[in-house]
Amino acid sequence: MRLQWKLTVASLKMFTRQKEAIVWTMLLPLFMVFLFGFVSFEGMEKIQFGVSGAENEPAARLVGRLGEVRTVQVNRGAESAELEQLEAGKRHLVLVLPQGFDPAGKQELRVLVNDGTPEETQMGLLILRKVLDDATFGVQSAPDRIPMAIQSVASRRSSYIDFLLPGVLSLAIMQSGIFGVAFGFVSLRKRGVLRRLSVTPMKPQDFIAAQVAMRLIVLLAQIVVLVGVGILFFDLQFMGRLLDLFAMGLLGGAVFLAIGFFLAGIARTEDQVVPLANVVSLPMMLLSGVFFSRANLPEPVRVVTEFFPLTYLADGMRSIVLEGSTLPALWLQLVGLGLWSILSVWAAVRVFRWE
Amino acid sequence: MFQTGVSVSPVILAVNNLCKRYGELVAVDRVSFSVHRQEIFGILGPNGAGKTSTLEMIETLRPIDAGTVILDGLDVSSHPRQVQQRIGVQLQSASFFEKLNLKELLLLLGELYGRVVDPMELLSEVDLQDRAKAQVEQLSGGQQQRFSIAASLVNDPLLVFLDEPTTGLDPQARRHLWGVIRRIRSEGKTVVLTTHYMEEAEELCDRVAIMDRGRIVADAPPRTLIGDLLASGFKKERVERLANLEDVFLHLTGHALQED
Repeated sequence: MRLQWKLTVASLKMFTRQKEAIVWTMLLPLFMVFLFGFVSFEGMEKIQFGVSGAENEPAARLVGRLGEVRTVQVNRGAESAELEQLEAGKRHLVLVLPQGFDPAGKQELRVLVNDGTPEETQMGLLILRKVLDDATFGVQSAPDRIPMAIQSVASRRSSYIDFLLPGVLSLAIMQSGIFGVAFGFVSLRKRGVLRRLSVTPMKPQDFIAAQVAMRLIVLLAQIVVLVGVGILFFDLQFMGRLLDLFAMGLLGGAVFLAIGFFLAGIARTEDQVVPLANVVSLPMMLLSGVFFSRANLPEPVRVVTEFFPLTYLADGMRSIVLEGSTLPALWLQLVGLGLWSILSVWAAVRVFRWE
Repeated sequence: MFQTGVSVSPVILAVNNLCKRYGELVAVDRVSFSVHRQEIFGILGPNGAGKTSTLEMIETLRPIDAGTVILDGLDVSSHPRQVQQRIGVQLQSASFFEKLNLKELLLLLGELYGRVVDPMELLSEVDLQDRAKAQVEQLSGGQQQRFSIAASLVNDPLLVFLDEPTTGLDPQARRHLWGVIRRIRSEGKTVVLTTHYMEEAEELCDRVAIMDRGRIVADAPPRTLIGDLLASGFKKERVERLANLEDVFLHLTGHALQED
């Protein structure tokens, strides 16, 4: 144990004295958060309507018209379910249609609005008013407006940064696992350091254990730094527990470290490592929902990306940060990452070579 | 000066019919020799003669194809861990971790042997006590080689293997290193080194084995080898000058160890 501890401490020293390593593991993810955090993509978001209640023919026609508006997305559901979504910040407005809805009937419509997103809510109400007026024009010559009862609902404000930060955090975990290990190990091998170590009685697994321990400590530091900066500078709404984030991060880290060792096993030189690592990491970086929701991907692509390890990690981290999920609720992500870690450790053990 | 030669001191390393093949190439061909305690034993030969392969099999770095190596009574192929505890190894073109200074590197290497070392003592052994806080990349070539020797001493080994320790060094740095090697021997350690510099073998080694194309072609103290050659009626075509250019260079720039 003493040896592993000494080796881990020495590895941490080497790591923290390496400027490039700090840039890659800490500053680059922070830079991404700053860049994407300040360039707000919220304007591109659609106004999310929840619709519940009557499902008769006039109601269907109204919902159809609402859905035709380009900036609106309609989601139908039970009132309680839609209210929940509203509170979770996933709807801007929820429209409750009375039973037997009739545009000529002047029944009062209840509209629940998200008080955390005034702009979208305001825009949504204007659109709704217009659609309702159009509907009544169609059936009345001298229309009376359908009255709306607007009710404000406190919701968790969910901004792009809340979406982005757990994604970037997952990306940073992936990058330092894959690139850090693969590049570092091939370089140690090429410079003859591993050869020098192999004339000592140290066992290779002691050294690997220390490398893994060092990387996992750095990973925990990445989580603390990114979440800390998010809370301090970006008003991140951190709903979950840090411990859950640590556990999810460590499991994801295990997968990506093993992938790093796998790549170190198949690459001969540093020049081969970088393209190999890119082949593995780039598709995940772009398609695993780090920067943008995977919901917008074409269906076949979306289905495939479902099974990426980074997707499991990013979804899990995001669910902890945004929704305060605890580990049992994230069993799908845990199982996914668990299977990936078994697969990647198996592959790494098969191809790994010390020299 | 310590004259062991064909001495009474006990054998610490016995190599018997050692072989190494790389595909078609027989790199080491039935090599046998013994090294006595506290000797400086040189393996001399041109590049590609099989010196490094021989050394690496003894050092547990390469599997032995055939033959035996007995080190301090231990068979190297069946007791690699115990052998590793007893030997110090300096490798050609091997390097150390980046970003750690000399002191930290020696402490860490000591840990690999389960030892707590005194890094300053090791550094002063090779005249590097002033560079304790430096990193290996900041050292000159001669200093790097001396550090590499200090690193091979962290486990207080019985036997130290040095693979071409002076290759690429200027004459002063080379002489400085010779001094360090003699000092190590005077502390009771045995030194096995490879070289392709004849004057180094003659000056430094108690005994040399000359290797060519994987085989040992001679094994005796340097003076004996030269004496035998002269006795066989050999004459140089041109008589050696009484001094050579290296002597001139050292005379002009000072014999003292001025490398730093």
